[in-house]
Amino acid sequence: MRRFLSRLTNLFRRGAAESELSREIASHLALLEEEYERGGLTPYDARMAAHRAYGGVELAKELHREARSFVWIEQRFKDLGYGARSLRRTPGFTALAAVTLALGIGANTAIFSVVNAVLLRPLPYKDPGRLVTLLHGGTDPVAVANYLDWRDQSRSFEAMGAADYWTPNLTGGDPPEHLWGLQVTQNLMPMLGVQPMLGRLFRPGEDQPGSEHEVILSHRLWQRRFDSDAGVLGKPVILNGEAYTVVGVMPPEFQFAPFWATHAELWVPDAFGDRVHNREGQSLRVFARLKAGVTLAQARAEIGAITGGLERQYPGTNRSVRVTPLRENVVGDVETPLLILLGSVGFVLLIACANVAHMLLARTSDREKEIAVRCALGAGRSRVIAQFLTEDVLLAGLGAFGGLALAAGGTRALVMLAAGFVPRIQSVAIDAKVVLFLLGITLLTILIFGLAPAARATAGDLTGGLNQGGRGGGGGVRRSRLRGFLVASEFALAFILLIGAGLMIRSFVALESVDPGFDPHHVLSMVVSVAGSREAEAGRRPTFYRQLLERLGAMPGVVSAGSINHLPLAGDMWDWPFTIEGRPKSGPGESPSAIYRIVTPGYLETMRLPVLRGRAITSSDDERAPGVVLINEHAARRYWPGEDPLGKRIAFDRDSQGGLTWLTVIGVVKDAVQGDWAAQPESECYLAALQHHAFLKDPAANWAYLTLVVRTSGDPAEFAPAVKRTVWSFDSNLPISEVFTMDRVVADANAQPRFEMLLLGVFAAVALVLAAIGIYGVMNYAVVRRTHEIGIRVSLGAARTEVLRLVVRQGMLQVLTGSAAGVGGALLLSRLMAGILYGVRPTDPVTFGAVAIVLGVAAFLAVYVPARRATRIEPMVALRHE
Amino acid sequence: MPSEDCRISVLQGTLDLIVLRVLKTMGARHAYAIAARLQQMSEDLLHLNQGTLYPALVRLEQQGWIKGTWGRTESNREAKFYAITEAGEKALAQETLRWRRMSGLVDKLLAEGA
Repeated sequence: MRRFLSRLTNLFRRGAAESELSREIASHLALLEEEYERGGLTPYDARMAAHRAYGGVELAKELHREARSFVWIEQRFKDLGYGARSLRRTPGFTALAAVTLALGIGANTAIFSVVNAVLLRPLPYKDPGRLVTLLHGGTDPVAVANYLDWRDQSRSFEAMGAADYWTPNLTGGDPPEHLWGLQVTQNLMPMLGVQPMLGRLFRPGEDQPGSEHEVILSHRLWQRRFDSDAGVLGKPVILNGEAYTVVGVMPPEFQFAPFWATHAELWVPDAFGDRVHNREGQSLRVFARLKAGVTLAQARAEIGAITGGLERQYPGTNRSVRVTPLRENVVGDVETPLLILLGSVGFVLLIACANVAHMLLARTSDREKEIAVRCALGAGRSRVIAQFLTEDVLLAGLGAFGGLALAAGGTRALVMLAAGFVPRIQSVAIDAKVVLFLLGITLLTILIFGLAPAARATAGDLTGGLNQGGRGGGGGVRRSRLRGFLVASEFALAFILLIGAGLMIRSFVALESVDPGFDPHHVLSMVVSVAGSREAEAGRRPTFYRQLLERLGAMPGVVSAGSINHLPLAGDMWDWPFTIEGRPKSGPGESPSAIYRIVTPGYLETMRLPVLRGRAITSSDDERAPGVVLINEHAARRYWPGEDPLGKRIAFDRDSQGGLTWLTVIGVVKDAVQGDWAAQPESECYLAALQHHAFLKDPAANWAYLTLVVRTSGDPAEFAPAVKRTVWSFDSNLPISEVFTMDRVVADANAQPRFEMLLLGVFAAVALVLAAIGIYGVMNYAVVRRTHEIGIRVSLGAARTEVLRLVVRQGMLQVLTGSAAGVGGALLLSRLMAGILYGVRPTDPVTFGAVAIVLGVAAFLAVYVPARRATRIEPMVALRHE
Repeated sequence: MPSEDCRISVLQGTLDLIVLRVLKTMGARHAYAIAARLQQMSEDLLHLNQGTLYPALVRLEQQGWIKGTWGRTESNREAKFYAITEAGEKALAQETLRWRRMSGLVDKLLAEGA
């Protein structure tokens, strides 16, 4: 042990040990010399005799070193030094190999950092694996009375809480702000197992009516609006014109909800009030924690039984209630695409490895003479292999280093690209796990491209290299077979990636060509909320809306202006049941329904959403006029098949006397996109804002706002400040939020497929280039190696075209073999992709055909250039070729 | 050279023991003195490249059995003087015993022709 430590320290104080040794040997020799001189020898003879008696000084030193330290490690250091020198001697090779590896390693690390943050890192709650959601169809909200029944009747859960969207206006500061928040049941946050950073969570009983005016702030909101002031606890804040007391501030990493209302920045208690009996208004998201020992299947069975009972009691209210692990709600939509991306980028790395392996193989062949000389001088084979492995490690190290830099940049770009639709993307970071991954794939990389050195080691007969001596023989059958295999693999992988990218591009083109129904260009939109302000007062709101739109429409550069309650694609969507006059009352849960939009006269005009039949809503459709409604084509087909819907009457609401509020269908509007860009349009109706009672009078926050749409003659984004100024000229306390151009809204709606297309496209392009470089390098090398042979062929009368055919055939054979294997792989991949494709089949023949052509052309070019060179070989030059 | 043939190479592993023994009898000595003493004791029968002494000295020092300190010879040259340590004395006793048993056994086996 003692010796071990001593040897270990000597590893690092090599210089000191070495000089001490020299000193000791010198002293020893001096003493010997002295002795011999005393014996009567001349000083010169004495020195010679002393050296003879001592034996070889260098040998003694070597023995000393061996005893003193770990020779093995010292040799590795030497190998490193030698390897670094040898890499530096061939900067072109080194740079190309290192860049290739850095590309592969960096791209993998960047994608993995996203996968790590989004899929692997557990949700930031206590024991998140036991958290589930209870939603209709796994996604849709639940009515209050149902939630209460499930909570009270079930036994599978430790706790069951619920949350409701709540978007209050924060006033009393500058500027007023429309905030995203949640109303939550008191037990929800304790159920998550989270602790506030300051203050406390809600106490039992604080979600009862009358005591609900308390608020918990997110860390970000606390920083932004309250200057990180710990004294904010106990202070009132004005939300929707009412005072709420701040009771707590959450830590920075807290986020809830993890899906759907992901921007929530404040939480208030949800006092259900008279909604406790409501089974119709579905707005709650229900969360629960499974009891220890209860499986998901057991909980599902229990909830199935409970909802079954409730459905019999209240038909139509408890259909398809699903218990889903919370994680699935959060990452369900992105899991497959992210894994596909991770797999694809893995392919890129494999191709990169194959390329570096080619380069190393070629390099080794060129160095056969050197290897042979080293072997002849007594280097053991293991020592030679160790030397090559050291170079591999150095290369991989360079690649890993470059890869890390690339990943750091790439990760930032990914976060920006994916911000809109990948949950938890903001938490993406290069952490310990990512670095570990990087090291892991670097090792893997060394193993994969290090297979080449292993192969050349087993190729045997290193000393044969001396005789062969670079005279350019065939390079060994086994080795060329290995190269062929590498090229074929590269093309197989490239084929798969290109199919993935091709399908995504086709899918994206199909998405781009979807007709949204309206014209999104040159339209600016923003949400203006009046809740809690002067303008919310019932008497003022209609006038305010009318005047605001008039003034906006009169602004220079503005073509038209209008408003809607919820903007398509970006806003909320209410699916409301209605009654059709003269039809028998429909069974429970089967009544007609339509997406409920409330528009001012300028909306359709501004969006250029055409009225196909009948007339549009005008400003004379006001509170004094009879109620009117527009329906879309889908509603017309569905509810009045073979009939003319114009003049028919429908009713959504009852008036204060309990009578139905009839609305006459005055027109049919073209189908337009609704919530989801790629989805088929559902039934939709447009009510007249200026005669809508709740829209004009109801003080509740979910009625007291409108989304402005403004069509401009120039770039709509430039009009945003002027439009805001116009709004604030009425009341500077009105919060404005979600200021978007309609083009941006459409782009955001397609952000995910665009992201997937972009990444797969980039990966495929890199793969194609690498594979082409790979085959080019191999063919070029083969031609150089065969210069001698080709020279003989030509001198024996082979025609140039024959030579060309010979070389091209050899190259293309490898390409074809690889591509054939690639077709199989691509079919597997495209099946996985079926869920993220739109308007294109996974086996799309156009894509497969196009990819085959692209790959074929690229490969042919890469093969043709060296083949051409082969035809220009002059026999005489070739025969002298060394 | 025939005369060389009757010289004996130091048996692997025994050099350490011999060096310890020399240092125990003679006190602190530098490497040259140790080599000279070995040569003298073995009446020149021992074939020893003096350089080969060094690995033995390093090993012994690393095990803590001897300790080297720089000093000056009578002729005022600097040299590293090695002295046996307490641990070294203990090790010497043990190793000597072991060697005796071993050589006794080998003798016996050789004598009886096994």
